[in-house]
Amino acid sequence: MAHTENRKWLVRPAWEDMVRKTTFLGVVPLLAPVQLLLLVVVILPSIYVVWLSFHVSSFGQTPEFTGWSNYLRVLSDPAFRSAMWNTIVIVVVAVHLEMLVALGMALLFNSGIPFRRILLVAVLAPYAVSEVVAVAMWRFLFDLDIGPITLLMQGLGLPILEWSFDPIDATVMIILLTIWMHLPFTFVILYAARLAMPSDLYEAARIDGATRMQCFWRVTLPLMGPAILVALLFRYIFAFRMFSEVWLLTGGGPARSTEVVAVYLYQEAFSYNAFGTASATALLMVAASLVLASGYIWLLRRQVKNAR
Amino acid sequence: MKTLQTNRRGFLAGATATLALIAAAPSLAAGRTLNILSHRVHQTSLGEGEADLMAAWKQANDADLAFTTFDSNPLMDRLFREASLPETEFGVGYLVDNRPTSEIAKLFEPLDPWMEKDAIADFGDIAPGLIKGMTIDGKLIGIPVRTATQALFCNLDLLEQAGFSAPPTTLEELVAQAQKITDDKIATGMILASDLAVFPVMFARAFGGDFLTPDFTLLPDPAAMEQALTVLAGMFENGALPRSYATTKNDDQVTWMQQGRAAFTVLPFARAAQLNDPEQSKYPGRITAVGFPVAEALAGKTPMATVVEAWAMVIPANAKDKELAWSYIKQVASPETTLGMALNGNGPARVSTFSDPKLVEKNPLAAIEAEALANGRGAFPPFPEAARAQALFLEEVQLAVLGRKSPAEAVETITQRVTPLLP
Repeated sequence: MAHTENRKWLVRPAWEDMVRKTTFLGVVPLLAPVQLLLLVVVILPSIYVVWLSFHVSSFGQTPEFTGWSNYLRVLSDPAFRSAMWNTIVIVVVAVHLEMLVALGMALLFNSGIPFRRILLVAVLAPYAVSEVVAVAMWRFLFDLDIGPITLLMQGLGLPILEWSFDPIDATVMIILLTIWMHLPFTFVILYAARLAMPSDLYEAARIDGATRMQCFWRVTLPLMGPAILVALLFRYIFAFRMFSEVWLLTGGGPARSTEVVAVYLYQEAFSYNAFGTASATALLMVAASLVLASGYIWLLRRQVKNAR
Repeated sequence: MKTLQTNRRGFLAGATATLALIAAAPSLAAGRTLNILSHRVHQTSLGEGEADLMAAWKQANDADLAFTTFDSNPLMDRLFREASLPETEFGVGYLVDNRPTSEIAKLFEPLDPWMEKDAIADFGDIAPGLIKGMTIDGKLIGIPVRTATQALFCNLDLLEQAGFSAPPTTLEELVAQAQKITDDKIATGMILASDLAVFPVMFARAFGGDFLTPDFTLLPDPAAMEQALTVLAGMFENGALPRSYATTKNDDQVTWMQQGRAAFTVLPFARAAQLNDPEQSKYPGRITAVGFPVAEALAGKTPMATVVEAWAMVIPANAKDKELAWSYIKQVASPETTLGMALNGNGPARVSTFSDPKLVEKNPLAAIEAEALANGRGAFPPFPEAARAQALFLEEVQLAVLGRKSPAEAVETITQRVTPLLP
């Protein structure tokens, strides 16, 4: 009886036979809905944006072909260059700081801190808060007249963040807010990677006489490398599209000094209704984010190659 | 005990029937539905429930109204987007008077033929200036329905605490009162939003200047604009404008006034009810409005040309049911509904409504508003690059007010940057 039961597992399932016999044309209808969805939601709008970027277009106006002039206009606009510079500064500083904090927290959690579950919820909570609510909350906390954090800092004799007046303070505020909002994403990736690491590696390292610091540099960091790269890559791409933090907090001000590329794009499209320049901005934004992340993409490719 | 059993067919049939009922709900409620794109203020001024000013119209036309509301800029974007489609479900949209250019006007139904066919009652009573603003390339595209005339609001309690018995009558007095209230640590002197051209334009007009005249003259009196920016920068430097000036929004002005955090602000007259609402305000009945004062040098010589924003009802050229849309517009623009809306706090577009005894009794500010409206005009005229020009203007104003640029430099840069955008 037991012998027959075991033999059942040796029989190839019916669906596997079906898949083997199915031709390419037979598979197409099964995949078609997904491909169609991608075509309608991603590919066609992307083609339209490329087309629009070579035209002058607004409401009540027939689009007119204009060649590369939208790109030239955007690239020669000082406001765009300033927005691009702000974006790069905020992305580079925020993403790397966030990575360091997330790494430190992942290692701290892994080392066995008390109340781990409660603290885990606290760390993940910002990801569950709506961006609009989060920004409103931060605006109140750091209000220059009545904000509890501002009053506390004043009470302690510390300098306050004049985020609605000083461009540097406003940029610092945006960076802090971005890190707070997106830390859970980076933390979860790094914490999962750390949990997946076998403990015998550390045992072996300790037997070989490695110090804690050596364990970190020689064992933890190399093994967490792929996870760190993936997290960095995703955060670079997400952070480059940053909009709500800036729009809701400073609106790009004071005097456009904290404007980022996504806000510039929004203004072009929805305030000035210049769809041609807005499309050109969008494509320049994609290109810039790819250039900025290219170093990490290259590292990731090299790791994948080495793994083979 | 019986248990509820369901099978796949039963579940699918039930789900389909529920969905069909949900889909049919609007048609069960009324024979027709008129979809309207508007600001929330237009919907509330028409009243609700028993106070619904459109109740009789709804019954007579067997129609219901479905409002989709947005803030001003997103509303304009959605309205133009809908009107650019081959067909739209929206029959009526509310259009602000600084947006209709020749290109935009093409998206909307010319209303002259509708007026000839089925005219609005006592059409001549609607302020001619507002009608002119909605007549583009010789075609009437919108029926004015709301005016938002800017007023100077002041908190009388805070003024009294600082030793002032009456609101200011000149701009210099306004600045001095705001400064005294700030220096005495009673409150912040004044609160203004930094993302709207209205406020610097009002200050410039108080000195006899402007940003852009109706005939597209940019900074007709640069010295007046420089004076205005100097005053605003001085107020900011001395704390009479808050440190958060650069991130202050229109809604902040309301809450600051309601909480007594600021003594003065500039808002439309229609905000008086909200500022004095006992449920929201710490100073009910103590926040009053006066016309924005001119500078001492112009007092008694040149009246203040306060900023007036007007809204009009339009029919997208691609709307499905234009008959129903026109019927709605006709009803809303009628003298009775205009008065009803005015009693609900709407700034009327009809001249006679301001002197109606019912309104005068309910709203003591009506006479002051009518006086301010008589000399008022838009912040700037509509043209294709108006939004971009406004943004550039505001950027320079902010730089001057925050002290990063001298007012003279800011005025020079406004000229350089805005001139290429003019039609």
